[in-house]
Amino acid sequence: MSDDTSTETDRRDSLETDGGRDVDYLGAKIHMFKPATPFMRDHLKVIWGLFAVWMLFTFGPVTATWLATDFMTSTQVLGFQLHYFLTAIGSPVGALVLCAVYAWQRDQLDAQYDITHETETEAEAGQAVAADGGERE
Amino acid sequence: MIESVALQSATGLFDGGFKLIPALTLASMLVLFLGVGWFFRVASVDDMWVAGRSIGSIENGMAIAANWMSVAAYLGVASLVAFLGYFGLAYVVGWTTGYFVLLIFMAAQFRRFGKYTAPDFVGDRYYSDLGRAIAATTTLLIAFVYIIAQGNGLGLMAQYIFGVSYEVGVVLLMTITIGYVALSGMLGTTKNMTLQYVILIGAFLLGLYATGWTQGWSTVLPFLEYGSQSTEIATEIDRQFTEPFQDASYYHWVALCVSLIAGTCGLPHVLVRFYTADNERNARWGTVWGLFFTLLLFLGTTAYAAYGTLLYQANVGPYTEMTGTESDTLVVLTTHLAGLPDWLVGIVAAGAVAAGLATTAGLFISASSAAAHDIYTNLYKEDATAREQMIVGRLTILGLGAVVTYLALNPPALIAEVVGMSFALAGTVLFPVFFLGLWWEDATREGAIAGMFVGLFFGFGSIINEILPQYVDMFGGEVISTTFATIVPATSSSLIGAPAVMLTIVVVSQFTEDPPEDVKRLVRQCHSPMPMETMQSAEDVATDGGTPEEE
Repeated sequence: MSDDTSTETDRRDSLETDGGRDVDYLGAKIHMFKPATPFMRDHLKVIWGLFAVWMLFTFGPVTATWLATDFMTSTQVLGFQLHYFLTAIGSPVGALVLCAVYAWQRDQLDAQYDITHETETEAEAGQAVAADGGERE
Repeated sequence: MIESVALQSATGLFDGGFKLIPALTLASMLVLFLGVGWFFRVASVDDMWVAGRSIGSIENGMAIAANWMSVAAYLGVASLVAFLGYFGLAYVVGWTTGYFVLLIFMAAQFRRFGKYTAPDFVGDRYYSDLGRAIAATTTLLIAFVYIIAQGNGLGLMAQYIFGVSYEVGVVLLMTITIGYVALSGMLGTTKNMTLQYVILIGAFLLGLYATGWTQGWSTVLPFLEYGSQSTEIATEIDRQFTEPFQDASYYHWVALCVSLIAGTCGLPHVLVRFYTADNERNARWGTVWGLFFTLLLFLGTTAYAAYGTLLYQANVGPYTEMTGTESDTLVVLTTHLAGLPDWLVGIVAAGAVAAGLATTAGLFISASSAAAHDIYTNLYKEDATAREQMIVGRLTILGLGAVVTYLALNPPALIAEVVGMSFALAGTVLFPVFFLGLWWEDATREGAIAGMFVGLFFGFGSIINEILPQYVDMFGGEVISTTFATIVPATSSSLIGAPAVMLTIVVVSQFTEDPPEDVKRLVRQCHSPMPMETMQSAEDVATDGGTPEEE
């Protein structure tokens, strides 16, 4: 997280000049472990980082319950047994938070690369879609 | 013996009485749905299948949630958590956390791809009509298995509300669903899904809050307040309620969870919701909203399980002796046992019907588009007119509807388990093909086809292995291969199946000719940050501004 914010400013500077627009996106190979464009690299960094956290949130509670059954079942939180609380409430809510974080970070990334979804519809002259392409930002 | 006596004397749920207010609630709800469907009835193909790609994020989120939350979520998960304890939570975790994987790996890329159906993706991405046919067939299979469970839940609810027999209930509600899907298509159902979400979550929460209040168990946030009840059941009544790995091993827990997550990312009728978003950003935030709306139900479902179990224990008998039917109606049963008035119980039951209708409608749409668009038009008659496609689509809905209604009369397992099977099928066969198709441009046609066959072996094979013996006497009612069923259970085939499919695709792709350049450009376009028009698909852009293929 902190790593992300510190590099954000200089990354923006270096990219402001081309905003990612000079890159030939249709010429760059798509391989999920070998990103070929700066945008893919930044995007995958966000994706893999959050995915790792998600793995922990999703399979952490059940694995902990498996490894330390006594501790997890005898500890109580809000009246719940800890294993039950983390699995039934922790994992799902964690996923929601992670989804929101991803969508937000992707918005940041869009801003960094000059991607505006408003112009996407409005800039297209003669398209009758501007009316419904409303972005609430 | 004991079960049937307990049912009649104590619950009165299935005593056959006609309940006026619940029936009126349901009837007005159905009239409303048909009215909305009629008002938004459509004639163009774009509108029928992707709602003119015009739906915003919150509305789409509600539609995603309503589409998602079938009878299995509304009734079935509470049933499994009460029945199977900690193992049942694998359903809760799998069905909620899966959204995240869907969001980061698929949602926006799918939106950019911009075709009509999931089989379309396979057909275009893997430049293969055979691939399209396999994907379309799988889509039909998934819808088929899934709708059986919905018919089951709808029948149970109709039984309570109208006092008719289970069989009449199934036929009645399935007929109504089929009628309105055929009339309104996707645009109508998107509007309906938003409405259905509001109705189903309202009914669900009303029952939960009312139960919590009247029993003095919870106040404003029942989702977090049932802790002492659940611990009480576990420590004073039966440890089984929360005992980890009592009913299934750690392996099975994880296998089920992974299958439901992969299934979330492979289910055609859910993926198609991203096509209806008005842009990628809305496709992403629509997913976030969708999960939020889903959580309102899933967090409540475990509370229902705890409350229902306590009430059952107090009013009927040991909860461990609950029958399958009782547990499948546990949400409604809970409000009934809490002594709430009939009209309120009826509303909760009507909410379950709304949940079933919304999902069944989405499934019928994806099945009909697979048949009309992918099989009929692309394989059989290239120049089929829009009118012909609509006719084929509607005939598919009618035909499929008739068969699943018949099978729902005698469902093979608990509601959520049947739905779990269709998720596992999607997760095993379709998810790896989608995933690698979007994230690895060198995946080839041959790889995908070989992969899907491997997927069908694990995904469909495991279902046949466990379910077929119930219908065919030859196997004496037992599973065909016990070893196969232990390692690859029908509800959990993706943990073994999905990696096997991915491996197949990767290996076969290495030995076959690379995909053509235009397909690679198509994949690249899905990941490009460049804006696209609302109605544009990756294909339009990737072919150098070439005119889009007329659909």
